Amino acid sequence: MALDLKEMFSDFKNGLWAENPIIRLVIGMCPTLAVTNTTENGLAMGLATSFVLISSEIVISLIKKLIPANVRIPSYILIIATFVTFVDYFLKAFYPGIAESLSIFVPLIVVNCLILGRQEAFASQHSTPRAIADGVGMGLGFTWVLVLLGAIREFFGMGSIFGLALLGEWYRPMVIMVLPAGAFITLGILVGIMNYISREGK
Amino acid sequence: MEKNSKKAMIITLATIGIISALLLAFVYEWTTPYIQANQAQKQKQAINEVLPGVVEVKKIEKNGNIFYEGYDANGNRVGVAFTSTGGGYNGVIEVMIGVNLEQNQIYEISILNHQETPGLGARITGKEFKSNFNNQPFGNYNVVKTPPTKEMQVQAIAGATISSESVTEIIESGLDKVTSAYGGGN
Repeated sequence: MALDLKEMFSDFKNGLWAENPIIRLVIGMCPTLAVTNTTENGLAMGLATSFVLISSEIVISLIKKLIPANVRIPSYILIIATFVTFVDYFLKAFYPGIAESLSIFVPLIVVNCLILGRQEAFASQHSTPRAIADGVGMGLGFTWVLVLLGAIREFFGMGSIFGLALLGEWYRPMVIMVLPAGAFITLGILVGIMNYISREGK
Repeated sequence: MEKNSKKAMIITLATIGIISALLLAFVYEWTTPYIQANQAQKQKQAINEVLPGVVEVKKIEKNGNIFYEGYDANGNRVGVAFTSTGGGYNGVIEVMIGVNLEQNQIYEISILNHQETPGLGARITGKEFKSNFNNQPFGNYNVVKTPPTKEMQVQAIAGATISSESVTEIIESGLDKVTSAYGGGN
């Protein structure tokens, strides 16, 4: 049991930094670039994706032995799509504001390669507790980068964070930061900084 | 062996499909009333937002369009609210417009649905942009990039000229609809 916990902790930590989905693995780029123009959108997207990731990792690690190898991908997609549709309805029913601002990107979580990738690389080969640890770690790792990206872009692009105006009237927003180009620039610089930090550590 | 694995494949996928469909049917049943209530609420709120001091709303159909006539506490018609839709930058935009037919003026507008870029075009829902239309007379509007200096001018959102122009056009076509239905403001 002690070993199990240690393993789980390292699986969890893995997603936060060493194998962070965005900065290290560079997967799940569609929502990363598209919805991080405000901090709130980044957070909502991160949490929605985390929920789908964790739930489908649990289900798939539980039934991995029942799925024949040659239909595993369609099976995973079906399970993922079920959870995504659930999130979509749930947001529309209880958080209509967030559902509206994320609009088309909620259903698109289905094709987020981060989720399918973790099923294939992790959940289908490990026990359920370890799959949960991996899902939580990867989900949080995904979320914190989205929030950071959203905060940087919202700050420079609109002079606010979480919709709260921080800079006064004198600030002329850099519109490019909330446009797609701003997403590429911010992400590029962020990945560069992270690479520099982890190289220094060696 | 070959046959067995094929059977297993079909059974697996069918089982997962059936379970997913069942679960989603429950989720759908559970959330649909809330989603519909949200939409009805949104529409009601929009009508109240675009018509000041309305206590009673009557739904009326004219020329195949639906209008919401708003009456105040004394039973006088304050104005008419209606929706107008058109293409935006990313998809359809639906606008609720409240007008004063006695003075041929817009009271206020409200955006019901849109798919504009979050953070840019999506700011058509913001007060700053919507207030461009407050108390404007009917007619054709000019979209300008600096603060408006005279009537009929609408200040575009920085970085979202197309969204701003689309909303303006949707409102113009909506105004045509209401003037033709009510005979040029009676």
